[in-house]
Amino acid sequence: MLKFTKITLSALALVITSLGAANAAVTVLGWPGGSEETALRAVAEAYNAQSGVADADKVELLFYSRDGFYDKLQADMAAGSSAFDINLLATYSIGRYASYMEPVDLGPDAAKVFGESVLKTMQFDGKQYGVPTDLSLHFMYYRKDLVDALIADPAAKAKYAEISEKYLGKALEPKAPDSWTWDDWAATALYFAKSVNPESPVRYGTVLQMKNLLFNIMVWQSVARAHGGDWMDASGNITIDSPAYRTALELYKKLYDAGASPKDSLSYEYAETNAAFGSGQVATALQWNAAASELTDPAKSPAVAENVGIVAPPAGAAGRADHIHGLGLGINKNARNKPGAAKFLQWLATEDAALLYARSGGSPALLPDVAAKIAKERPDLVTLGQYAGAYGYVMTGATSANAFPVYELQAKEFTGYWSGQETLDEALANTKAGMQKLLKP
Amino acid sequence: MVDLDHKGWRIFAIPLVGFLLLFLGFPILIDLVYSLSRVSFTNLRSPEIVGFGNYGEVLGDAQFWRASWFSLRFGVITAVLECVLGLGLAVFLSPLIEKRSWLMAPLMLPLMVAPAMIGLMYRLVLHEFVGPVPYYLYLWFGDSPSFLNAENAFWTLVVVETLQWTPFALLLFYTAYRAIPNDVREASAIDGASARQILTAIELPLMRPTLVFTFFIRFIDGFRVFDNVYTLTGSGPGGSTTSLPIYIYEAFFKQGAIGKAIAASVILFLASFIGLYALTWLSRRGKGAAS
Repeated sequence: MLKFTKITLSALALVITSLGAANAAVTVLGWPGGSEETALRAVAEAYNAQSGVADADKVELLFYSRDGFYDKLQADMAAGSSAFDINLLATYSIGRYASYMEPVDLGPDAAKVFGESVLKTMQFDGKQYGVPTDLSLHFMYYRKDLVDALIADPAAKAKYAEISEKYLGKALEPKAPDSWTWDDWAATALYFAKSVNPESPVRYGTVLQMKNLLFNIMVWQSVARAHGGDWMDASGNITIDSPAYRTALELYKKLYDAGASPKDSLSYEYAETNAAFGSGQVATALQWNAAASELTDPAKSPAVAENVGIVAPPAGAAGRADHIHGLGLGINKNARNKPGAAKFLQWLATEDAALLYARSGGSPALLPDVAAKIAKERPDLVTLGQYAGAYGYVMTGATSANAFPVYELQAKEFTGYWSGQETLDEALANTKAGMQKLLKP
Repeated sequence: MVDLDHKGWRIFAIPLVGFLLLFLGFPILIDLVYSLSRVSFTNLRSPEIVGFGNYGEVLGDAQFWRASWFSLRFGVITAVLECVLGLGLAVFLSPLIEKRSWLMAPLMLPLMVAPAMIGLMYRLVLHEFVGPVPYYLYLWFGDSPSFLNAENAFWTLVVVETLQWTPFALLLFYTAYRAIPNDVREASAIDGASARQILTAIELPLMRPTLVFTFFIRFIDGFRVFDNVYTLTGSGPGGSTTSLPIYIYEAFFKQGAIGKAIAASVILFLASFIGLYALTWLSRRGKGAAS
């Protein structure tokens, strides 16, 4: 009996000790799969290997499945879960999670690593809620061989002018993509569409992502922003029913109706767009920066890789604009080890940690002098940093608690217009009414 | 069959009612409270009761009625197609499957794939550049329709659903068809009945319970379709392929309108209950008339 009691007590002590250790560790809920997970694993390992990190503050990683990640995270946080100390957050969902999170002080050096505009992607109500680990924006991908041939051929130039006159109301001359306006891009897309120009060497001039999906609206909305569009003004009035939005929405519809983009574009998102552009039958594509490695890799995109050019999204009446949003890590309000969590995030915001994260496959937006230190290994990050700094924007209200449903609403209404189920006036009126409800103070 | 009096019925019903109260009581109660509340993920534990506003919002929402119409149409059309095809295949393939029973395994293959995976698979199959269907259409006819635009998305989804679930109907119909005693067929044939007469006057009436059961199972499944539609079209374009479950899911998670989403599910539940009651009443009436 005594032996049994001893064994039981020892087992109990072991369980209590291990539970204590688990409570003290910093549990990080990360974004599963892809480069973000790989990079997070690498920095967590490096952090734990440092001599100054107490055993109680070592980092442990936790991953859900990627499907419905944000829905599960929201349910967990609403339930007051303390299963993780640090959780993922994104610019467009930060307002939704801020009430379940603690603001974090990243220290003065964070601004020297990321810059203020990138740090803002993790701010809500003027408070910093996380470290921006990965930044997403858009590149304009184009076929260098096709565009070069167009610019060099006088007959093609004449055809280009004729097409742009007919569809856009002005005779345009082909330009280098780096100096494109949205009209130049549209004229190029029309010129390379077989339905418009049967002589085109490819089937389509562009590939539009028009599926009823919030991320597709993020890709598109830079057209509106470049023309001066915004969600709301400084007084909180919804400004979606503006000439800028009308111009941008009409441009996509015009291109789709003319056959400049594949017929099934209304069901396209990231993967379908890559497949279309990678097929060699499309001249341009506005797409996430993450696609750069795939589209320029001869093994993955043999038909186009050698000829892919990358420039910033074209300019509108208000200049260039490039939607940015960040993924980042912040502290759960119900964290068991808040001091340990804060220490890890402060370290993650240092230059050394950010560079290690980048070398391990992540996509942090770094200031030019920091990005220069890894320019050889990650040239795409140099471009990413340049575009984010020069053209990056976040719509007013796009970090609010209801930003997510606003994007959903826009996706439903705008695809309704593009597919011909609603008029432009109806789509904009419905969007405005919905946004007034969702974004009211 | 035991004919229970009122007291006996109560005794036998107690375990069932107890089970329902234990496992469904709390969710039903909390659902009713939430459906009458202004509730979001921030005040789940202290919802603010506001009356029937959520119900009014749902019933006044054109998208709710559009989703209801989509679900009803989708459920009826797919159930009819699956039953007709399943029955045809069961009768047509029956002699073959009887001799080579292993043939049933490949026929059942679509049932092994999760509906969400079917949706993803067809997104690729129908993709203009990588999909085999548009590829061969281009090769043979020089053009391919857009399978997922506003005009064609509904019928594409119907075909995808029918292709996946017809084997289910086939399985049930084949089993019922084989269960019909051969001597009934033989006696009919001796009496001079043709193959068509045997099918319509003997076999189909004997299979009627299975036919009705299969139709309703497939109708219910089609009515509550979610996964393959959501992965294939994302409920678009413009909400044109939003089924009722997708409407509820989007209201709940995407809009954070928890009260509205639950009010919609309560309405759906009540509608199903009324439908079920009407069906039971009709079947009893039919039985009474027959006897």
